[in-house]
Amino acid sequence: MQQWAVWAEEVERLLEQGKSKPAVELAKVAHKHTASAASEALLVKAYAARIRALVQAGLNEEAKALLALVGQRYSRFKEALAGIGFILHAGTSLDDFLRPFADPDLPQDRRAEIETVIRRELTDLGPLAQSAVLPATHPLRLAATKLEQAFRAVTTGPVSDDALSLTEISHQSPLAPWKSLVRAIASFYRGDDRACERWLEQVAADSAPARLVPALSVMLAKPSKQPLKPAAIRLTTQIVGEASSVRASLEALDRAFVGGKPKRIARHIEKAVAAVKTSCPDLVERLKQHIAVRAYVSDRRALAAIPDGYRKDAHFWHLLARLTELLERDFTLEACSLWEQFRKHAVAQGLFAEDGPEIAALYLHMAEILEQSSPEELARERPAFEDRFPGYLKYYSDQPADIRRAGARQDPEACYFLYPELLYARACAIDPDPEIFRQWLHWARRSEDWHVSDRAAQSWRRALPKDGRPLLHLMESAEKRGALKKALGYLEEAEALDRLNPEVRRARLRLLTANAVRHLSQNKVHLVELDAAALEALPQAGEVNRPAFPAALRWASGVLHNNRQEALHYSAQVAALLESRAAATVTLANLADMAGFRSAANGFLGSDISGEKIAEAVARACALGEDLGLKFVVPSEWDEKILDELRERRLEVGTRQLCLLAEAALRAGRRELAFAACGAGLAKGGPTEARFLLLRGQALPEWEFSRRDECFIAAAELARRQRDMDLAEEAVELLRTYSRQGSTFLRWAAHREPRSFSMSSEEVQKILERERKASKLPVLSPDKPAPDYGSGRWNEEIEEENEEENEEEEDDSFAAMNFKELTQFLFELAKRIVGPRDPDGTPGKRHRPSSRGPRSLF
Amino acid sequence: MSRERRGTLAPGDDPREILELEPNATDEDIRAAYLQKVKEHPPERSPEAFERIRDAYELLRDPRRRALCFLLSVDAMGPLVSLVADRVGKRQFVGPGPWLDVLREK
Repeated sequence: MQQWAVWAEEVERLLEQGKSKPAVELAKVAHKHTASAASEALLVKAYAARIRALVQAGLNEEAKALLALVGQRYSRFKEALAGIGFILHAGTSLDDFLRPFADPDLPQDRRAEIETVIRRELTDLGPLAQSAVLPATHPLRLAATKLEQAFRAVTTGPVSDDALSLTEISHQSPLAPWKSLVRAIASFYRGDDRACERWLEQVAADSAPARLVPALSVMLAKPSKQPLKPAAIRLTTQIVGEASSVRASLEALDRAFVGGKPKRIARHIEKAVAAVKTSCPDLVERLKQHIAVRAYVSDRRALAAIPDGYRKDAHFWHLLARLTELLERDFTLEACSLWEQFRKHAVAQGLFAEDGPEIAALYLHMAEILEQSSPEELARERPAFEDRFPGYLKYYSDQPADIRRAGARQDPEACYFLYPELLYARACAIDPDPEIFRQWLHWARRSEDWHVSDRAAQSWRRALPKDGRPLLHLMESAEKRGALKKALGYLEEAEALDRLNPEVRRARLRLLTANAVRHLSQNKVHLVELDAAALEALPQAGEVNRPAFPAALRWASGVLHNNRQEALHYSAQVAALLESRAAATVTLANLADMAGFRSAANGFLGSDISGEKIAEAVARACALGEDLGLKFVVPSEWDEKILDELRERRLEVGTRQLCLLAEAALRAGRRELAFAACGAGLAKGGPTEARFLLLRGQALPEWEFSRRDECFIAAAELARRQRDMDLAEEAVELLRTYSRQGSTFLRWAAHREPRSFSMSSEEVQKILERERKASKLPVLSPDKPAPDYGSGRWNEEIEEENEEENEEEEDDSFAAMNFKELTQFLFELAKRIVGPRDPDGTPGKRHRPSSRGPRSLF
Repeated sequence: MSRERRGTLAPGDDPREILELEPNATDEDIRAAYLQKVKEHPPERSPEAFERIRDAYELLRDPRRRALCFLLSVDAMGPLVSLVADRVGKRQFVGPGPWLDVLREK
């Protein structure tokens, strides 16, 4: 007896620990030796635990066999085993399982166990609602009755919300998931899909009603994580038609493509095509085309699995072209060739008229794709592509005659689709809209060859003769290359169209000025008086300081005629008109420089500038030059004086003039002066800060690449916020230009090609603050630690290719450094590579550049 | 890729879907759909929805922009199941039997 107690205790301990197998073995031993009712009950209990463990392990068949054996051998424990039998659907009746539930004294844990089984396993409410072992007033039976009626109602016809209040079923009820399911089905039939989804979310995942969630999700057109089982497919087909089963097969194919196993993909392709053929035959071709395009990028072997091939019509090429253009920038030419195939088929199929707006839009789209490369890059890449491009004829061997014919059509301008100029010309021929011409000209201006932009402007002019914009371009283009007569001709045409246009008005002043300077340089002094008179005759000639320029021309005439009296007279007149002898000196000296008689003019410039505010005077002269289209240079001998004045920052000079002063200093290569002018401008704050940051960036020495880039990015960001898109574009272009220029070594060191042109407000403010405070141009000194500008995120990556590209280029900027500069540059570079110093002053951890992929120096 | 102004519309948004238009909708259809949608979502009541509707209409009213919208509309790498997205028919009542079959299916 004592031994039995030990065994019983041990069996219970094993069961508590979830060790059902040794518990069964020990209970068998105990029952063999004791053979009492208690030992038999203990053995059945151990068997029950073992069967549950098998079920949990997914060994249902083994569990069923064991249950059958135990039920046969220990028949008086049939009731106790009913719950397990219900779980296993092993033939145990629901009544046997529920019988204990009718007992009001049933222990709580046993009741909870039965409720769990009901929640998880009850797949039909009818038997529970009609169970004879529970009284008709039993809450569970009542709830099942109500739910059974509601379930029948919602699956049979429309039901009002009132009929679904189901207040009898609480959240704790084992039938609560049924309540959510019934409401989900009602919402589904009402068309309230969101409510349906919400109710489905409330169906407990481990409950029996949850088995309907995947089918309902598919019917709601939501992707299903698992394939539907046959009964679920039948249900969805009956309710929403074949589309749901098609959807299931397409989802399976999508998953197969993700999985990437060829055999599986092929199997699902066949299934999906068959399903679509049965229920949506009109979609078969489209599906096959989508599969084909998917196969082109993932696994071409899948193409062979497409039953009866696929049509390579407009839709196919449309898909392929769009996909290719989204792939990589390297495939821009291929993408355009595919769009051309699409165009041929779209026209042949009658989707678009050959000269319809859709085709114009397509030409523009192709041009935009090509615009990702600069005109020069395109010119380099195009010949190689044209040489190796075989066309797409071989793709049509299995196609019907109509498709073969459409695909084989050759355009008279072979490979026109690789030339933005031809694309724009075609688009404009179909749709001569000023906006398209503007886009064309905008692209053409990127070319270094002025003929390209002039051709665009000429086409615009011919198509829209009343639009003055192409004339202004042609005029500026001619002016830039010194063809002043031609430029004046275009100007006259522009004036005939719109004389009051401010650009036209400015152009007249500018061109007359340029003409006068040319006459001077050609020593045609006799024409100078005529030029001065023509300038004075302009309605706008009296504005601001402009009257000083005709006087300056007459001064030049006096100098060239060696008429000292006349020269001094007009020199004084210029000084009076500009209210500054210094400004007059700058104006006259620049005019003499431009016209090539500086040495002759030296004695006629005047030198008494005592008491004058030089910075202000020079800025005024620069403003006059800018107004007339002349780029004045600041006299170098005044630098110290101007710098002193600028650093005092008590100037009367406006921000516009400071900008001009900085630009003039940059033109003359005098970084220190430009740097100081920017500092004075930044100190004034206001909307010109972006412009000053841009100039400050250009004023910085080459080795300050990080700081320069930061200035450009901050300028671009500020300009964007002020909606000054021209300035923002200029900043971005400068950033790109600097990244392309300079030495190979510097390009590598600065690891250009920044990833982002944006900056947070805080970062912009920080940079503005830093640049305002900076009073002196950075100079190289190995004794002085270099400022740490390397924490910016714009320079975090360096590409391996940077090291390799243009290796043979001359390293001019590097060579131009003196020894001291070189030392400082290398010091800065070493600091970047080694990383910031640790607090104790020792160099930080070295960042080794990876030999593969992008790497970081920080 | 495109410089096309799309306003409040994200790259994946289909303006035709926003105005609930058929692919072959005419200019008149587009305008009628726009007016109908504005009635449903007036700017004072739902300004965000209105902006989307207006941007969709702006994209579709101009034939060139409409064409560009069409060119960019295909999604070659989108899920294949999206091909049948609009093929859901009327939901039929089938009684409790087929539903219970799904529950019983292990």
